Amino acid sequence: MPGRASDPGNSLVPFSPEVRDPVVYPIRHGIKTPLFRVFVSWSHGNLLNVACLQASPPESNAAAGTAESEVNIGGKVVEVRLGDGDGEINEAQRRRIAYGSVPAFAMLQSRRNSLSMMSRMASSSFRNEWWRHVLEYSNQIKDLLGTPRLPSSSVIEDPKMVLQQIEEPTSLKVAWELMEIFYVDKQSSAWLPERLVDWLADYDCILAKTEPAIYSKLVNLQKKIVNIQVIEDDPEYWDGISSALAVGWLDVVVKLLRLHGSYQLDQLGNRETENGLVEAVAVLVSTMPRMRADVPTGKLGQCYKTKPDFVKAWEKWRGHITKLECSAFWVQCGHRQTREGLRNLLQIMLGNIKNLTTSTCHWMELYISHFLFIRPFSMGLEGMYSLAQKCMQLKPSSNSSGLIGVFMGILGGNTEVVLAECSKAFGPWMVAHAMELLMATDDHADILLHEERYNLGGISMEELYRLIYAQVLSSHPLTWQIAPTYLASCSKQGLGLLEVLLYRQSAHNYRVTLKNLEICRLYELENISECIMKIAGVYYWKHGRRGSGIHWLQQAHDEVRLNRIAQQLFDCIGKSISDDSFKQWEGLVELLGSEVGTAGGLEFLHKYRDFKRSLHLVHDKKAVDAARQTVESLVQLMRSPSTPRRFWLPLLHDSVHLLNWQGRPLLNVSETTLLLSKLQELSMAKLHPDFSDFDLPPQALATVRLALAKNLRQAILEES
Amino acid sequence: MAIAGDANLRCFPQPNPVDAVRWLPTVSSLRRFAAVAVHDPDSSSSAIEVHALNPGPNLLLRSSHAIPSRISALRFSPTPQKPLLAAAATSAGSLHLLSIDPLEGSIDSELSVGDIGFSTGAVADVDGQAEGREWVSVGEDGRVNLVVVGDGRLEWRRVFDSKGLVEYSAVRWASPAEFATGGLGFGLQWWDQRKPGGAVAHFKGNWARGNTVGMVHSIDIHPSRKHICVAGASSGTVFAWDLRWQHRPLLLSGVSTGDTVQPASESEVWEVRYDSHIQPSSVGTGPTRILPVMMCSEDGILAVLQQGEEPVELLAEPCAINGFDIDPQNPSDVICALEWEMIGILPRSKETSTAS
Amino acid sequence: MERVVATLEKGAQCCGWSHGGRRLAVGHADGAVSVHDSSDPSTRASARWMAHTCGVINVVWIPPEFGDAIACVCADGALSLWDEIGQDAQAVTWKMCKFFEGTGSQVLDVQFGVSLTTLRMVAAYSDGHVKVYESMDPLELNKWQLQAEFQNVIDSVSRFGKPSCVSASIAWSPCRGENQQSSFVLGYNSDLSQFNSPKIWEFEEAHQRWVPVAELALPGDKGDRVHAVAWALNIGRPYEVVAVATCKGIAIWHVGLNPESDGRLSTEKVALLAGHDGEVWQLDWDMSGMTLASTGADGMVRLWQSNLNGVWHEQAALECNGVQH
Repeated sequence: MPGRASDPGNSLVPFSPEVRDPVVYPIRHGIKTPLFRVFVSWSHGNLLNVACLQASPPESNAAAGTAESEVNIGGKVVEVRLGDGDGEINEAQRRRIAYGSVPAFAMLQSRRNSLSMMSRMASSSFRNEWWRHVLEYSNQIKDLLGTPRLPSSSVIEDPKMVLQQIEEPTSLKVAWELMEIFYVDKQSSAWLPERLVDWLADYDCILAKTEPAIYSKLVNLQKKIVNIQVIEDDPEYWDGISSALAVGWLDVVVKLLRLHGSYQLDQLGNRETENGLVEAVAVLVSTMPRMRADVPTGKLGQCYKTKPDFVKAWEKWRGHITKLECSAFWVQCGHRQTREGLRNLLQIMLGNIKNLTTSTCHWMELYISHFLFIRPFSMGLEGMYSLAQKCMQLKPSSNSSGLIGVFMGILGGNTEVVLAECSKAFGPWMVAHAMELLMATDDHADILLHEERYNLGGISMEELYRLIYAQVLSSHPLTWQIAPTYLASCSKQGLGLLEVLLYRQSAHNYRVTLKNLEICRLYELENISECIMKIAGVYYWKHGRRGSGIHWLQQAHDEVRLNRIAQQLFDCIGKSISDDSFKQWEGLVELLGSEVGTAGGLEFLHKYRDFKRSLHLVHDKKAVDAARQTVESLVQLMRSPSTPRRFWLPLLHDSVHLLNWQGRPLLNVSETTLLLSKLQELSMAKLHPDFSDFDLPPQALATVRLALAKNLRQAILEES
Repeated sequence: MAIAGDANLRCFPQPNPVDAVRWLPTVSSLRRFAAVAVHDPDSSSSAIEVHALNPGPNLLLRSSHAIPSRISALRFSPTPQKPLLAAAATSAGSLHLLSIDPLEGSIDSELSVGDIGFSTGAVADVDGQAEGREWVSVGEDGRVNLVVVGDGRLEWRRVFDSKGLVEYSAVRWASPAEFATGGLGFGLQWWDQRKPGGAVAHFKGNWARGNTVGMVHSIDIHPSRKHICVAGASSGTVFAWDLRWQHRPLLLSGVSTGDTVQPASESEVWEVRYDSHIQPSSVGTGPTRILPVMMCSEDGILAVLQQGEEPVELLAEPCAINGFDIDPQNPSDVICALEWEMIGILPRSKETSTAS
Repeated sequence: MERVVATLEKGAQCCGWSHGGRRLAVGHADGAVSVHDSSDPSTRASARWMAHTCGVINVVWIPPEFGDAIACVCADGALSLWDEIGQDAQAVTWKMCKFFEGTGSQVLDVQFGVSLTTLRMVAAYSDGHVKVYESMDPLELNKWQLQAEFQNVIDSVSRFGKPSCVSASIAWSPCRGENQQSSFVLGYNSDLSQFNSPKIWEFEEAHQRWVPVAELALPGDKGDRVHAVAWALNIGRPYEVVAVATCKGIAIWHVGLNPESDGRLSTEKVALLAGHDGEVWQLDWDMSGMTLASTGADGMVRLWQSNLNGVWHEQAALECNGVQH
């Protein structure tokens, strides 16, 4: 297709990480094709509304052979959620992880802010401290992804229980752990090989689901040993032991060895040498030197924290193995399987590649066995990468899961590949949270992810991936409320997206609206909160909930609309209305209150009502007292700051016949001057665009001016 | 933001959001149940569930009863009896009365009312008299209705209709004839059925500052002090309104001009309840003193407030606490509905029962 | 991944979603309009009424600050505005608040924008004329004033013949700021080439008039008939993004934020995306302005994104015309 990109760069996820043929999803809407039209509209986040409208069939065809209900269907509307990630984790679990990662993420961000504030002078000290915080964060996230494996707590152990049944880890957790090992945990970087050994213990369960793996081999063996009498005759027994040894599950190896028939009391006598050999191997296995901080309870091996100590112990241990290997006792061991099995174990411990290769199933197992028995020291990523390739060649695997992609990306030292693989295999949650791990100790990744790019609209990759995750959160009514935490960490476009997100929320439920306003309060988005209240106010007002409408508009300081409402109330005055409507009106006057700036508050409306009432009494030309009283309230109204200017002209126009009063003028000079000055102000203001006319005759201003002038003349005459 | 809640809080993740939680008034000390209003936004379905609380502790679903629309309030009649009566109000304007077996935790029958005459908007709150024969409901449409359990059906009559001028968001009985309602503008109203035609007393708080709508979300009235209602509202405001001094509300939490009481929270206070677990401190116990009050808020605070004292924070969760209930029979135990699809149970030790 | 949220009646021929995407208005061939609430699990319409005597060809929602209201464009060129109203907490109904008769030329498209606090409506007519109306009442939509009328051409001095336009596409700039200039982009599908190319019109406060500040077509493409335009939300980019669909494909344009010395906005066509087999029907940007959805006569919904290097490509597609079971 022309126009499709040829550049193989990384894309904006969340659908897939690289440019390739677009994934085509069929939409099951169940209506007959051909379609007349398809309409789409983006809702929140990655939620897309799609309406498929059916082309109307010719009338004659419609009736024939179609059910009544189908005939009446003209289209279906479906809601499509895009970029949802993999199916390993269900919706509820995914939400739980999303909720749980919020506090950890927020804490890390606030730590970053306070630390970078403190150590602006010395960025090196920031780096030295930082990874510890990231490690804490990583541990919190890891806890969310699955319960940690605990050593068996039962006091009496079943000797035949060689393999502890554990809760199966998710590949998400395993991938997370992998990144923690490589990117965060500086302290144990010297013990990297041993951490990978531990890691494989988890990963192997996942491998076993799709491919042959040692874990499944041992699970099968576990089932079998309960029923077997002479276990050492069974090749599977020896096979299991050697496999377990190859990947360093020493406790399993020793447990299995101790099930050897020669340990049975009645056998001890005639199988003394055999038993001695088994036990010697078991001891060698359990005393294997390991370069690591500690060994968890129940696991075997001897710890050495520093390389010199370890090397010394390693050499000594290998010496013991070689010595046993050359021992004369083998000849005296009559049981062939035992002899061969044990010598195989010795070969594994000596790092014989042939034996390792046959004892392992998957290339990853073979790879890990290298670290245990061939090259037990940390090496550079390059070395690890080429070793991994070598292992892959020795044991080709048909299935390349996303996790392997992440693994190879890490070894390849390519941050972009790691992120792309994470995104492809685990989705936007993983990318947004794993970036913190990638940047913990790696300056290159830090620069890469923080570099602002014009093509992305001036944001960095870090911000982009957070925005993408926030979009995913926004797609669901239960998770959108946690999106602000992530958006707040996006300095360039985060608040922009947050405003859009808040603006698009429905105003129909006040509880939801209040929750939205709380977010506005937290992030100081006053414009948006006013906007939300305005939308809510108009909605309530129009839907007959006038009290709420006024209330929300007042909180939104929406004087334009409140003015309009006041004007509507104003229009009611003087008209003959039913008692019920009058009550409603009074109630609205009450609600409108007197605090709303110039919006014509309570005071004005009350005064105005009184004024209008007395104006009605002045129909009789002789009611001088009533007229005087009315004029007084007119002057009061005009003086009062609570009278909106927009009402001045209607007020004066209503009173024209009082200004034109036959006989003595009702207004004195100062009062008339006041009204004239107000009129003057008004005619100047008329130029102002927000001046809004009532339904007054066009000559209203002139009429009032004329009447006032006449009154002034009379008043001057009177007073002089 | 706190990284984790209180260590004592037991969280029970649910597959769907929890809108309300209530302890069942127990008739037997051996069995404890909690009723939960749940809602699934993906399928737009709602239900009342009864969970058994077993030692461990763990929650076990005993029964579930579908309600046609989202539940806005859930209340039990206070008297432990067999069967228990619970009322659920919905955002579609209906009211459902359920009878629940207090020993089995099963939901046995339902009566409902929901015609357009009854309500045109969401029913915001409902409260029942002791035996659960008579209920009062208030709504966003400004209607106050009295619902009585009749012969196999619910009968209702209109107490008042504000015709959209006033909306109500909370209601609570004070006596067999009187009840209090709350709404916008920190507003409270006192009603007396013997004096029809409208509320007999009004209160409007003037604490609204800046962008706050000042909505009263919850009211509680203590049986021993029927003239005082405490209300939880916006901006962390919790106040007591004494009918005898109607113009002098007492602020327990929140900020107002002139008299500022340290707010336990700054956001919406979703629910308030008198806390019978806490013995009021000896100083100044008298009929005028406000008894200890528990509140929960949008910013994740669960706290106990005492007049003239600093609030005692029981929980500071990273997500909103949308509602809670204190077990009437074991007032040390609090159950709460957390925004992140969880039910939380907080047992309190005896030591905390006397406030310092 | 997908779930059915509404079933439409026979004769449905246009759809419009409300601002948050929660409500859907559907226009029918017989002149009826129905409104569906997606929060409602039942697939029945929450309201249905006869809006016109002939078919409704376009329904557009009004910004939420002005309530829940829609504009219906009718096949005979008339335009009506409907407002959802409830009196005294009684059940709500849809009421017609304004009717613009189709006199001579027909309304083809109509879109609403808010500038400061005023609601503005742009209507594109079949004779190539554009009319801008202003609502005179912040609460009710019954009073409108014609604020401006012009032709969708750059050169306003020359005389052009009267074009015959099949369709028009309008998109307001989605920025909502107090001091944001109000502007929109408009393109025609007509027989007169000068009218077709999408132009960005901006209101000049000083002279109280609309001026074209950019033309989104390369010199050779100016006569291309425009099928759809969409203006992306800008949450902080240093440029605006506008998508234009013509017979040649979907063009993505970057438009400068500030005018150059000649008062024009800088424009750059960054991509031309072809994928739809046949005419493009509609374009819509997601809320971050990063993903563009398009629909076309091939029955596909295509989703387009730019990668880290700024290269646009088709990311995914939804097949609506497939075999159904």
